[in-house]
Amino acid sequence: MSVSPGRSAGGTALADRSPSPEAAPPLSISGLRKSFPGRTVLAGLDLRITAGRLVAVLGANGSGKSTALRCVVGLERPDGGSIRLHGEEIVGLSGRELARRRSRAAMIFQKIHLVQRRGVLDNVCAGALGRLPLRRSLTPALFPRELREEAMECLRRVGLADRAGDVVGRLSGGQQQRVAIARALCQRADIVLADEPVAALDPAAAAQVLELLSELAREQGLAVAAVLHQPELARRYADRVVGLARGRLAFDTSPGHLSDRDLDDLYATGEAAP
Amino acid sequence: MTTGTRVPAASGRRSPSAAGAAVVTVLVVLHVLAWQGTGFSPADLVRGWRGMADFAGEAIPPDLSWPVLGAGIRAALVTLYIGLLGTTFSVPFALVLAVLGARTTAPNRWVYQAARSLLSFLRAVPDVVFALIFVTAVGLGPFAGVLALIFHNTGVMGKLWSEAMEEIDLGPRDALRTNGANGVQVVAHAILPAVVPQFVGLLLYRFDVNVRSSLVLGLVGAGGIGFLVNQSIKLFRFDQMATHLLIVLVLVVGVDLLSAAVRRRVAV
Ligand SMILES: Nc1ncnc2c1ncn2[C@@H]1O[C@H](COP(=O)(O)OP(=O)(O)OP(=O)(O)O)[C@@H](O)[C@H]1O
Ligand SMILES: [Mg+2]
Repeated sequence: MSVSPGRSAGGTALADRSPSPEAAPPLSISGLRKSFPGRTVLAGLDLRITAGRLVAVLGANGSGKSTALRCVVGLERPDGGSIRLHGEEIVGLSGRELARRRSRAAMIFQKIHLVQRRGVLDNVCAGALGRLPLRRSLTPALFPRELREEAMECLRRVGLADRAGDVVGRLSGGQQQRVAIARALCQRADIVLADEPVAALDPAAAAQVLELLSELAREQGLAVAAVLHQPELARRYADRVVGLARGRLAFDTSPGHLSDRDLDDLYATGEAAP
Repeated sequence: MTTGTRVPAASGRRSPSAAGAAVVTVLVVLHVLAWQGTGFSPADLVRGWRGMADFAGEAIPPDLSWPVLGAGIRAALVTLYIGLLGTTFSVPFALVLAVLGARTTAPNRWVYQAARSLLSFLRAVPDVVFALIFVTAVGLGPFAGVLALIFHNTGVMGKLWSEAMEEIDLGPRDALRTNGANGVQVVAHAILPAVVPQFVGLLLYRFDVNVRSSLVLGLVGAGGIGFLVNQSIKLFRFDQMATHLLIVLVLVVGVDLLSAAVRRRVAV
């Protein structure tokens, strides 16, 4: 898999995002709160992710990791707090402006969620739906040529250009997850939130996906957060490790300083109090 | 069988035998009421066997002369056409109402409820009733039959399709929403690709049903071979009626085989 930094044929939006030190962080969450009937899942979460870094998010089952990411991409509506994308607040916003601000964040799912019956390239193109008018996007046949070229470039970045014509269902799990990452690139997102992206993959495929994510962070300047359940993977691939417990930030450290104590505490705390 | 371990009965529940007896009693009472309510009488059937025999005697042999056969085949084609147009023209309406009336794709609760209600109404009114209404509007003939099928089939197919859409995995829908896709784009790129095989299968099944319904529609004056069957009964030409029923049999079996064959193809 090769991720070439300078070369950007179709994806100018992806090239060179090395941040200036003063710029607002790509994603900054503060005091985020979310409850479901009968239980508080996020109890004032603070989290920041940085351009050019892969942040591993650890936490026990039910600690609120998925909910936090889903609040950012709009699959859950937060009760309160603040979510800023490149300094722009999105909590309490709605409509077009919200969609515009949010388009810079993409989500990668454990279950991948590609459209199985469609081709690989069509799936990647779907990442761009948010910026296409309906008359160019009602069916894949209407997708503009430039979009197909951009999508090809995204596939090249994840090392799957040769599978562009295949139906998604024929690809292995690891390959499908890389197609999903290409879709996020085609969305021109510079913030990638991956919820257990490798939980369903074998070790080799998992390593490939995490290597890809960390390369995209380092070489393309993306801000990547990946929920992981294996601390070894976090130590190996992440630039930073954060722990969530009971809907709050429990620690924020570098992989080198991540101690077994941190982990024992993290996994002992269990779920958020109701 | 595990005879050694017995699952204890949940407390607060009546014993199975009491519940069973209650269900059986209710069922028996219902059937007795139904027997009386419908004037069900095997004795009448036995007494009427002569009439049946006369009827059969006149129907056999069927009148296979060319004028009767030719008219029957032409009318059967009209019946097929009614079923075809009634099915095809209901597709756009069924699709829109299915999307608006599926929990997974409805834009909001009000639209969902409205679409559901409309679908229920169209389904609840039998196609024969629609046919009678349209016969008064556009006159006797196949056009009234086509209109009736469009209305009723929109209700049935819309319901079946919306259920198919409610059963799919919602992951791809959520993924496209986070990509910034709007409602129509989500339906076009995540929902429909997942349900196309079910949709085609249900469409063919409905075509099959609609061809058979259009026979009945003919009986109330909406053209096709049903109309000829009705006429030959009124004229006491049971031999002609038998010819028409034979043609109907061929038509129905043919459509059934065709739609089953295509459905098998699509399912693969
Ligand atoms: N839509 C929902 N309705 C009600 N409760 C929910 C909903 N979504 C999540 N929860 C609850 O919120 C809690 C936190 O869920 P969340 O998925 O964020 O945890 P997580 O940290 O991702 O856990 P896991 O490691 O198991 O994925 C869980 O107890 C879950 O049951
Ligand atoms: Mg989770």
